[in-house]
Amino acid sequence: MKWAMVLGIVVIAVLITLYEWPKMNKNQKKERKAFAVLTMGSVVLAVLLVYFPDMPGPTQLVDSLFKPFGKLLEK
Amino acid sequence: MMERGKISGLQMAILLYPTIIATAILLVPAISGKFAEQDMWLSPIWASLAGFLTVYIALLLHNHYPELTIMQYSGKIIGFIPGKIVGLGLLFYLLHTNGVVLREYGEFVVGNFLPSTPIIVITGSMAFVCALSVRGGLEVMARSAQIFIPVFMTLFLVIILLLFPELRPANIFPVMDDGITPSIKGAIVPSQWFTEFFLIIFMLPYLRTKEKRMTWGMLSVVAVMITLVITNLFSLLLFGDITSKFTYPVMSAARYIDVADFLQHVESIVMAIWVVGVFIKVSVFYYAIVIGTAQWLHLSDYRPIVFPIGLLLIIFSTWVAASLQELSHFLSTVWPFYALVFQLVLPVLLLLVAMMRKKAAENDN
Repeated sequence: MKWAMVLGIVVIAVLITLYEWPKMNKNQKKERKAFAVLTMGSVVLAVLLVYFPDMPGPTQLVDSLFKPFGKLLEK
Repeated sequence: MMERGKISGLQMAILLYPTIIATAILLVPAISGKFAEQDMWLSPIWASLAGFLTVYIALLLHNHYPELTIMQYSGKIIGFIPGKIVGLGLLFYLLHTNGVVLREYGEFVVGNFLPSTPIIVITGSMAFVCALSVRGGLEVMARSAQIFIPVFMTLFLVIILLLFPELRPANIFPVMDDGITPSIKGAIVPSQWFTEFFLIIFMLPYLRTKEKRMTWGMLSVVAVMITLVITNLFSLLLFGDITSKFTYPVMSAARYIDVADFLQHVESIVMAIWVVGVFIKVSVFYYAIVIGTAQWLHLSDYRPIVFPIGLLLIIFSTWVAASLQELSHFLSTVWPFYALVFQLVLPVLLLLVAMMRKKAAENDN
């Protein structure tokens, strides 16, 4: 089933690109770069999460930064 | 100019109200109930002080740089590179929080109504609808909120009225048995919902008129406070000290409603309130992320990055926690401090530096 999820993610990314890419002007180079980086980054992250769902995420990062404070409200 | 739409003060208040209430209405009664017990209805009043403070500070900051948003003036206040770092941290915070909100929504719908639907379908479709409204711009969001809020309020009043016969006023006693401390403890976590008024910073530059900004902001805080006091009071009068044992007290309260064996299953109304509220809440956060990212990267238009960020948002909603238990533990321990740092401490520090800079500039002249 995992390959189907990966396929789904790629299809969504392609659909978004097909919709947005022609709407941007030739001289909007920066926008195109930002769009490409964000879309590619999301696809890579999504595929990684399909195969490694337990990858440490943003919550673990914040948890480790704020741990001493968090203990105050533990009950 | 990136955002061409303009909104009025009333529309700003209408956008902010569900942004705070949507998740607070379901989760706050249980959280304040845990700390404050029978004084839990007092907690939102203390918590709202954080809301007033946040709105006030956001307005003072805005007065220093009336045309800019926080992404632009943070660079002017503390220098280019530190400004970019602060901006990136803020974007990460907003994306993470929005992921949490989307996940809460998904967990609630799956847990109560659609038990066999995969959660990604629910969060994904909500993210898609929000993406469409964000792509439309701030004005479109404000107008859709204007249509939805009367519905939201009416449904809330219907629930309140139907619950009236079930209440046991004796549950409220003894009032302030252990003094004022428990109710203040119960206000610590809810106060972080009030600091979400910080999002006003992203709307202030796009207001049509400059007058009455303060009034509308404060009125919105008052409306949220009153709604939360009513919610907490009703959960308390209905369930007494077992309120904190429920995950969603308001939901369980609505299940109670049974008028003449005829009017039942009113919890679907709570569901409607929740969907409408979350739609606006996610849109407002989403808008802040998109416009913030566009300004952080100095793009000329924010619309091309709406959908890619939506994809990222769905990823974050599955990534934030493995289960609802893990999520609610995070929300009631670490999140209050995390939110406090970005929503109140950061604007206060920026304001102090901006004021010192202004003083220094005046002294030079």
